[in-house]
Amino acid sequence: MAGREAVKRAVQQVRPILSVDREEARKRALNLYKAWYRQIPYIVMDYDIPMSIEQCRSKLREEFVKHRQVTDIRVIDMLVIKGQMELKETVEIWKQKGHIMRYWKESQDPKPTDFLSKFIQGVN
Amino acid sequence: MIRAPLVKALGALGSPTHQIASRAVRTSAVLAQTPAKAPEKIEVFVDDIPVMVLPGTTVLQAAAEVGVEIPRFCYHERLAVAGNCRMCLVEVEKSPKPVAACAMPVMKGWRIKTNSDLTRKAREGVMEFLLMNHPLDCPICDQGGECDLQDQAMAFGSDRSRFTDINYTGKRAVEDKDIGPLVKTVMTRCIHCTRCVRFASEIAGVDDLGTTGRGNDMQIGTYVEKLFLTELSGNVIDLCPVGALTNKPYSFVARPWEIRKVDSIDVLDAVGSNIVVSTRTNEVLRILPRENEDVNEEWLADKSRFACDGLKRQRLVAPMVRMPNGELQAVEWEGALIAVAKALQKAKGQVAGIAGQLADVEAMVALKDLVNRLDGELLVTEQDFIKGSGIEVRSSYLLNSTIAGLEQADAVLLVGTNPRYEAPLVNTRLRKAYVHNELQIASIGPKIDLSYQHNNLGADPNLVKDVCNGSHAFSKVLEGAKKPAIIIGVDVLERPDGAAIHATISEYCQKLKKPDWNPFNVLHNSASQVGAFDVGYQPGIQAVLQAQPKVLFLLNADAGKVTRDQLPKDCFVVYIGSHGDNGASIADAVLPGAAYTEKQAIYVNTEGRPQQTLPGVSPPGMAREDWKILRALSEVVGKPLAYDNLDELRARLESLAPHLTRLGELQPASGGESVAKPSISISSTPIDVKQKELRDYFMTDAISRASPTMAKCISAVNKQQRQDEARSCAAV
Repeated sequence: MAGREAVKRAVQQVRPILSVDREEARKRALNLYKAWYRQIPYIVMDYDIPMSIEQCRSKLREEFVKHRQVTDIRVIDMLVIKGQMELKETVEIWKQKGHIMRYWKESQDPKPTDFLSKFIQGVN
Repeated sequence: MIRAPLVKALGALGSPTHQIASRAVRTSAVLAQTPAKAPEKIEVFVDDIPVMVLPGTTVLQAAAEVGVEIPRFCYHERLAVAGNCRMCLVEVEKSPKPVAACAMPVMKGWRIKTNSDLTRKAREGVMEFLLMNHPLDCPICDQGGECDLQDQAMAFGSDRSRFTDINYTGKRAVEDKDIGPLVKTVMTRCIHCTRCVRFASEIAGVDDLGTTGRGNDMQIGTYVEKLFLTELSGNVIDLCPVGALTNKPYSFVARPWEIRKVDSIDVLDAVGSNIVVSTRTNEVLRILPRENEDVNEEWLADKSRFACDGLKRQRLVAPMVRMPNGELQAVEWEGALIAVAKALQKAKGQVAGIAGQLADVEAMVALKDLVNRLDGELLVTEQDFIKGSGIEVRSSYLLNSTIAGLEQADAVLLVGTNPRYEAPLVNTRLRKAYVHNELQIASIGPKIDLSYQHNNLGADPNLVKDVCNGSHAFSKVLEGAKKPAIIIGVDVLERPDGAAIHATISEYCQKLKKPDWNPFNVLHNSASQVGAFDVGYQPGIQAVLQAQPKVLFLLNADAGKVTRDQLPKDCFVVYIGSHGDNGASIADAVLPGAAYTEKQAIYVNTEGRPQQTLPGVSPPGMAREDWKILRALSEVVGKPLAYDNLDELRARLESLAPHLTRLGELQPASGGESVAKPSISISSTPIDVKQKELRDYFMTDAISRASPTMAKCISAVNKQQRQDEARSCAAV
């Protein structure tokens, strides 16, 4: 009986994506952060964006802080992988200026939610 | 003008079913006591599939019953059979020659082969002959993409022709005819199916079109050069299987595969014809009829079809507020709403609303709710009707016999109405009954041409009394009829003695009533009217004018009945609507609304059938859907209405009048209670109708008044009349 329980628990345990424990996941996240941090001066130069290095670094921090409540190791790994992909695309100049500027989303207005503002904007 | 005997003769030529059908209708109408014994069905085989059909069924109909469609050009379900295109030739076993499926009644045990070698060869031969003289101008033909000849040449034609023009004589060429500003003719393309000729003489009732010459020299035309003058002329465009008759305002505008089609409802008369709105790049390009047996069959009146270019002219595209110097100035929505809200707060409940001809039910309910929340009660329709208890009972303002039901009527009295122009598709039903059902029609009112023979009793309103107390000769006809009907025009009910006429007729109709037939009919001419009464509007603007409101809402009210000098000086007039017409010109604030092709809205037709329009394009500029304007305004005033989207508004509608949201269904109107007799008696002013001639028909509302095509129609009619007069002077 007890043996069966143990087997069940073993089966239930999920397969890790990359990291086996929290410490490893944290290290991966930090590495990604550092890589981006070091790349930022080149990004500003290569893409000729109207942003300073400090602004970009604070945006980088913001992007990481956005996910600070994530505790699931698999989710952290997946986010790190996606961040890695983004970085690669940036470094290889597969992106364009607009893709970089999209991190600031300045052109997007918040959509109106109440009837009157929807009416005045003509979106309903 | 064809009446039954001639149709019967035509039937003997080609249409046994037609003949049997019309005879069956007539016998059932004349001696309905003995139900006709159903004839025994006979068995035939279509491509070896057995099917049981009534004797007299044609080969084509029998094939249609098993789902085999035989190609045809001249045959049309709603027209007499001509049998002259020969495209429907099919092989019948043991018959020496192929037979014309549209005209040949089936015999017992026939084996019809719709896809045999002989049949295919016959079709190829017919196609070859047709294409021999048909120009190869498909790339510049407006019918391209929706052409029966094109489609059938691809499906059934041969891949080559044996006719080579060795003498370089060229194809047959025919001069184009000028038959008016609506229908463009390219007569070289004509394949002589004669559908247009049959439509004109059978359905429209004008024998303007005909054929001259024979064989290769045959031509379709108007004999002498004149206009094809009828309110139904656009239908020949749909009937024409090739591009010989095409839509003139739509010519060279778009191809069928480029356009988006939206099913909608027509609102330019009270029939509520079903339409398809063709749009491209946010423009309405053309309007076609959609089949609905209960309403418009598959026809459409010219105003509904061609007034769509009025949707692009004279539009209100921005909110406007009248400045101290007396001019309307375009402002932002915030500014306009605040200006109206200020006036509403100052009015302290002295608020009234007038709903015009094109107002939809949703907007009327929103206006009613808004006015009620502001402690106002005066909500009226621009079109007048009888006052008081007249509209308490729903059946007292509906076309109770129903549009399709009028086809079975056998005696009809028209009181002060000209259905030919007020509701052309009701008139086609009456004409159908006249042709096939021996319908006897009498009218009280001015002498008018209804496209069928009728007995004009005179214009004296006291004739109504005579007929209704049984002393007139026509009373005998009505009382002896199986399904009598009396149709009252709304122009009569606008008169001061309208209530008396209404009460007299409705009392008489109680007497004429049959268990499943209500003979009392009111023929409206504005699309909003029945819906307005259903949601609790009162008829007539007099009550509003007497009350001297501080704020007056004009919801699509463009008939010009309200003028500035009838209103108090400090009255703030708010116009909500789509076109800059009479309403907007007297308004202090103009709030641009959506036209019927731009909103999802319910309209109730004259028989009480709620139907909805669907948006094909978006409203121009800053225009918004009408009910949303009222909803937004209510929020600015500080008394928000309780619905934010259409579903919630429809729920409100349902709580107000449950039948309104059962779209397309006809709720039987409760009736029977006799209306209290009004104190006024019938006066002796002669009964008149507003639309007497074709020229009065084209412009009746804000959309058609803005339409350049409708203006061209009127000038064409005037020109034709001048020519006729000149000709008759010359003859004298």
